Order: sequence, then structure tokens, then C-alpha cells
Amino acid sequence: MKRERTWINYYLQSTSGIVGAVLVLIMITLSLISAFSLAPHDPLEQNPMDALQGPSGTYWFGTDQFGRDIFSRSIDGMRRSLSVALLSVGLATLFGVTLGVVGGYLGRWIDNIVVRASDVIFAFPAILLALAIVNSLGNSWIDTSIAIAIVYTPIFIRVARGPVLSVKEMDYIKSARVLGYSSPRILGRHILPNVFAPVVVQVALSLSWAILTESGLSFLGLGTQPPDASLGLMVSEAQALAAFAWWSLAFPSIFITIVVIGLNLVGDGLRDALDPARRSTS
Amino acid sequence: MRSLISLQGLSIKTSSDGRSLTSDVNISLIEGEALGIVGESGSGKTLTALSILGLLPRGVEVASGEISFNGENLLSIDPERLREIRGKEISMVYQDPMTALNPVMTVGNQLLEVLDCHNHDVKDPESHVKQSLIEVGIPDPDRALKSYPHEFSGGMRQRVVIAMSLLLSPKLLIADEPTTALDVTIQRQILSLVSKQRSRRQMSMLWITHDLGVVANLVDRVAVMYAGRIVEVGTTKQIFNSPQHPYTQGLLASLPVASSHRKNRLASIPGVPPKPWLVGQSCSFADRCQFAQKSCRERLPLLDTRGTKSVACFYPIASSI
Amino acid sequence: MTLVIDNVIKKYPIRQSKSVVNALNGISLNISKGQTLGIVGESGCGKSTLARLIVGLESPTKGAITWRDNVLLRGSKNQWRNHLSPAQLVFQDPYSSLNPRQRIGECIKEVIVAHNLRQKEEIDSRVTELLKVVGMSEDMKNRYPHQLSGGQRQRVSIARALAAEPELLILDEPVSALDVSVRADVMNLLVDLRKEFGLTYLFISHDLSMVRHISDVIAVMYLGRVVELGTWDKVLDSPQHPYTKALIAAIPDHSQVGQMDLTVSLEGEVPSPTNIPSGCAFHVRCPIAVPSCSHTIPQLIPIKSSQSVACSEVVK
Repeated sequence: MKRERTWINYYLQSTSGIVGAVLVLIMITLSLISAFSLAPHDPLEQNPMDALQGPSGTYWFGTDQFGRDIFSRSIDGMRRSLSVALLSVGLATLFGVTLGVVGGYLGRWIDNIVVRASDVIFAFPAILLALAIVNSLGNSWIDTSIAIAIVYTPIFIRVARGPVLSVKEMDYIKSARVLGYSSPRILGRHILPNVFAPVVVQVALSLSWAILTESGLSFLGLGTQPPDASLGLMVSEAQALAAFAWWSLAFPSIFITIVVIGLNLVGDGLRDALDPARRSTS
Repeated sequence: MRSLISLQGLSIKTSSDGRSLTSDVNISLIEGEALGIVGESGSGKTLTALSILGLLPRGVEVASGEISFNGENLLSIDPERLREIRGKEISMVYQDPMTALNPVMTVGNQLLEVLDCHNHDVKDPESHVKQSLIEVGIPDPDRALKSYPHEFSGGMRQRVVIAMSLLLSPKLLIADEPTTALDVTIQRQILSLVSKQRSRRQMSMLWITHDLGVVANLVDRVAVMYAGRIVEVGTTKQIFNSPQHPYTQGLLASLPVASSHRKNRLASIPGVPPKPWLVGQSCSFADRCQFAQKSCRERLPLLDTRGTKSVACFYPIASSI
Repeated sequence: MTLVIDNVIKKYPIRQSKSVVNALNGISLNISKGQTLGIVGESGCGKSTLARLIVGLESPTKGAITWRDNVLLRGSKNQWRNHLSPAQLVFQDPYSSLNPRQRIGECIKEVIVAHNLRQKEEIDSRVTELLKVVGMSEDMKNRYPHQLSGGQRQRVSIARALAAEPELLILDEPVSALDVSVRADVMNLLVDLRKEFGLTYLFISHDLSMVRHISDVIAVMYLGRVVELGTWDKVLDSPQHPYTKALIAAIPDHSQVGQMDLTVSLEGEVPSPTNIPSGCAFHVRCPIAVPSCSHTIPQLIPIKSSQSVACSEVVK
């Protein structure tokens, strides 16, 4: 029997996909370093005597106005960003896919409610809505994650619902019903596999948006509060310093850019690899 | 009677990897004659028809051969000249009338467009177009002209498509399974209509189908295609009453009889048709043929023509006529 | 021991419109165990709707369908559990009736597992057995549908239906989408299986020659009603209803070569099921219609020992 090429093989054929994956892995590794307190310096430790020094052997990315190591703060900030991104997208995926699949499959009034509710959320500009929610919930990273999750749930509803609607009318689903399979069985074994591909791609893309949103929120003063490190917060604080301490603005910005580009490349790579239209029939 | 169109040695292949889709197809039609091309999926009948008007899909091209129409080789003429011929001297009707008609243009406008494109000098285009609808049996033609394709039923749409294809009185009408998607009683109406038009206009016809019943009552001659090659050609009577190629015979034998005596089992041909590009220099039907001998797998049988009959087989079934 | 379809009506409301699709307008039919009922008709006659109702994909608007006196064949209300029906269905399109992501063996095995039809250790051999019964070898188990031909896929559909151990098998145009040379094989298989397993068939097709070959009794449907019912030979060789006559006359017959008489057997279009003519739905196109045909709906009345017609003129 011929060995079927899995989507992983296809993914590995894409150079941009590999580049993206590498970038993301680097960022994950750096975050883990911070998570296990293995950073070269304590992100919160202030050394007023070393304030506003450029990149050096001791302080790889230089120091900020309080003498804190920008490298250590950057990777700590990345850790926060990724945590928020993972939690928020995780929640959005869980709720969005469930609602989308249930609504799409059961149809009628349930579907109507799901679609209308997601339309309402869609109607608000993402950042504003996230701002409003964080404002009312609080500033902890969990609250921020919940806010972002709410904002992104409708996208997952839509992404999951589409394939369900189109697959639902296929003869093999009707066959499954005639064969007397329960709805949970049909959903789980016959419908969900079709939802997997678009959802996976959406996860990658949403992670990058979530990071940008979190950075945006903390840039605006919500979410992570000083003295904790957050990439957005660092960028915000560095505005005043940028003229004479370029490193305080450059490095956090570059980190944001790298992780967002990386996740986008991964998303594109996944989309190409999982798209059955690309595959040649045997 | 002069020859109207003649395909010689037409071979079609895929552009990317040169896989053979049809091989060495020879077909000719004289003026006023109707030829049916019969075959199953993968036999190459549709591609052959499309190649005449240069309508092969992307990724498929003519590898070799010639198509002579009225002294011109359609495969090598000027694209402008081919465009002139399309619709005016040779026109085509497809299986799905919905996609053959523009959904956002009224039927009247689409018909007028045909006249317009070919700079056809007609004194009163509107009434010419209306007349064409009457000829194909569309009731209330004034209203029909103002209607959109989706307002018609499948059968009516197919009539509109036929009207369009006959507008410029072409010498040759190519039809690719035009009634397959229609109900039986509607199909009968369309076949009757086409037959009438054909005799009125002394038009030649190339009718492609897998439905042997349709072919038996509509055309003068039949060509049977299998795995990209022509395996048998003859008059309709010859093909149906005394098929010589084992495939033709097997195909006819597998159909349930319409007479009152019914057999318990239908005679079937074991296996499936091979992909044309996988068949080497041997008979493509050999693997499924109950009469196959050693030479069938070693050499390629070519079409052997005697009078009106041609068979591509080393051991054709003796004709009973 | 029979399938009883009792005055079934099925209507589909069209949203945002007052009109309704009258798919079935009072169908009553019986099938005895082991019998094959062939259903013929053109678009809009309701034959596919009838198939869906019998297998429970939808419920009738009015009327009941019972198998062995159990009104078991209503759409299963409890969708949260697996529920096995004695009626199974083989679809027309071999390309969309199998899950493209599921291997053939898995596909058949699922039926057995979902309904606990075999002990765990017997399942694999049962799958092999079912494949063998439809003429496929064991190594097909690992293939995906796209690796199979149309005829093979149809066999898999049949095997899958058999895995549910049905008593009634509905075949909705089972060979229409297959190549001509492959149809004979599948038809022969269906005939063999019927004998081997004592199955009852409902064979739906627009191809009269196939229906003729396999049916004991034939019902001709037009716009949601049965217009003629009888044994296969009576209905096809001496049709009584004007529609049946027109239908048979319209079929291009390959055994009557060069007949060249393409006179039209029936003019006009089939009316839309949203706008069914009053009285006898066929009166608009009927060559023997009289004024009363437009206000009385003819009932299906037996005129000979094994033939019934729904036509007031014929019954006279």
C-alpha cells in the first residue's frame, strides 16, 4: 500500500512555512527561559547606576530608564504575550468551534441564535471591544485573555460553521443518519474532521492577532501594569526615550514583529498544507 | 456527397506529462450525415468533440493529427478564422444548459449577441431571433425573449441553446450528451426537434453519448470509442444488429432486453475500462475480452475498413448479415 | 411482514413565500416481504422524497409508513443514541455517498460497532465476509474511496447497507451514475443478494429497462401520486394509463434500430410541484382528457387482476 503523504510532509515543503515555524520556536524557547527564571537578569531588578546604557556584554539589549535589563524584560514580555495568546485563543477555539458546529449541525433556531450573537460581537471593532471588557473585568493576564477570547470567538464560530453546513448535505452524512448513527457520532467522526483544517489555520492566525491585541492593550495602559514587563508596555514607555535610547524601543518592537510574522507564515503554510485541493489524487 | 469534416490520426494528450488521452482517431462525415460517437467515461469522446472547435480544457492539447473542414485544417488555421467558424459553420450543444447560458442576460439578448458577433446581415434581427424560438417549440416567444435562463425548465433551456446553435445555420452541429440530464419524455421532445431541424436544414451532426438507445434512433452511422481509440465504426444497423468488436457486442449484451422475456442475469463485461495512457502497443480491451488471444496483448489492432464497416480487432466476431 | 405506505402526504413550505412544494399527494402502497417494487417517474414525481420518508430521513406531513405494523419508520426522534432501522438505503451517487476520509474497512466496521451487531472478536471477519458478498477482496479494507472506481464504490455502499442487516433495501437510482458496462455487474449482484438474504427491494429509477429487469411489481408516479400499479409485465407491456403509455413510448429503444420515428409521445413540460393542476394532475397534457378530469382526482382502481389505474376515462 502506498504511504499516504500527511499534511506534515506538505508543510515541510514550504520554505516560508519552515521559516515561520523556526521563528515561532525561537520565541517559545525564549519565553520558556524566562518562565523558568533562567533569564540573565531579573526583569524587575532595578540598577539605577546602569540606566539607559546601550547593548553590551552584560546587558544584551541595553537597559531602560530604571536600569532594568531590556533583554530579560523582553523575553518576559514575550512569555506574557504568548500566555495570553494561548489562553485567549484556546478559549475562543473551544467555545467558537463548539457553538459553530452545534449551530451549523442542528440548524434552525439554535443556529440563528449563534449567528446573531456572533454578528453582534463582530459589529464592534476588536480593540475597542477588548478595551471595554478589560476595563470592566480587570487587568490580570487572565482577564485580558478572557477579553480577547470573547472578541475572537465569532471568528471561530464562522470558521467552524462553514464546513459543517456544506458537509451536512453530503450523501455520506445522510447515509450515516439512515444507518442510524447518533448525532454525536456523526458530528465527531464524520463532520469534525472537515472542520479541523480551517480551524488549525485560524488558530495560527489568531495567535498572532492576539499578541498584537495584547500589546495594543498594554500600550494603552490596560492589561499588564508596571512594573511587570509587557512588550506593549515597553514600547509605550520607550516612546519618550526613543530619541536617545533607541534600544529601548527597537528590541521590544522587533520581538513583536518577529513573533507575528512567524505565526502568520505558519498559518499560511498550514493552510497550503491542509488544503485538499492541492493534493493530487493517486 | 462531399466530405464535410474529417479527423485524421487525432491524438490528444495532457500538456504537463504527455499522457495519452486519445490515440489516432479517424472520423469523417459527409454533408447531411449524422454520426454518433458512443463510449463510456474515459473513452475520449468528449475530448475529441472539443478538439474540433479548439475548446480543449487547460492542460490538454492535441499531440498530432489533422482536422479538415471544408478544405481547411482547423488545428492550424488563424484563430480569427476559427472564431468565425465557431457558431456559424460549426456549432456545439453541451449537456448542461444552465451553464451554457449567461444567467444575467436575457435569452433575447444572448440570441441577438450571436447574430451581432458574426456580423450577420439580417434585415430584422429581432424577428429572426423570435422565429428561431418558435422553430424550437418555445411557447410565448415574445415573453421568452425577455426572460432570464433561470426562469426556464431544463428542457426549455436546452431548446434555447439549440435555437442559439442553429441561428446561423451551421453546416455541422456537435452535441455532447445534450439530453442526458433531461427527463425521458422531454428527451424525446428534444430528439424529435433536433431530428426535424436536421432534415430541414440538411445539416450534419456529430452526436456524442453513452446512451445506446438514443444513438440507435437518431444517427446514420456510429463510431464506438474505448480507452481513447475508435474500435468500431459502421451504419447504425450494422453496429446494433451485428457488432463485430467484442466490446461493442459486450456492451449491447449487457443491456436489459425490452421484450417480454427477461433473463435472470445480465451479461456483463468483467473489469473496468483502462486509463488510455496505461495501454501499451496492444489491444486496450484484451484484459476484459473473452476472445482474447496471445497476439492481442502483443500488437495493436488497427482499424480495418471494408466498405462502410471498420473494426479494430484481430479476431472480429463474424457478422451475420 | 410488509411495508405499508398509508395515504402519505408530504409538503415542504417555501420560506418567505406562500407557496408549498407538494412532493407527495396521497401515496398508498404495499410491499410484501421478498418482493421488489419498482418505482418509475420523472422529475417532480416524488420518488426520491418517498425514499427519504421510508428510511426516516424525514417525516411525512400526513399519513404513516409502517414496517411489520410498527410505525417505526418515522424520523428517529432520539438523535442522541444509535438507532437501527430495518430499512437501509443505497444512494445514486457513488462519489458522495462514502466519507472520503474513511477507509473502506473502517466504514463498514462502523456500522457493526455502532449497533453492537457482533462480538469484538468477530468484527473483522464479518467485514471481510461482507466485502466478499459484494465481490470485493479483503485487501480493499485499507483503501480510501477515491482509490476505487464508481462500480466498486457502489458495491461498498451496498456492503455497508447489508452490514446493518436490513430487511428492506431502498435502491435510489443505484446504477444510473455508473458506466454502462459496469451496470450489468451491479444489477446482477443486487439480484443475487436479494435471493441470498431474502431481501425486499424498493427499486427507484427513471431507467425503465432496469426497473423491468428487477421488479415484481411496478408503480408509476406522477406529481406525487401513483397513476398505475401492477406486475411488471402488465404495466410495461400493456400500460393503461395515458402517462405510462407516453413514458414507455418516449424511451429510445436500442433494439428497434433505425426506426427513425421520433414522433413526440408527450407534449409540454411537467408542471411544478408548487403548482399542481387541479383534479387529475395529468389532465393538462393528457391526450384523452375530458372536462371532468380537471375537477376530480382519480383514485387508484383495480381494472384487471394485477393492475390498477388512476384514470377516470380508462376505468370506464
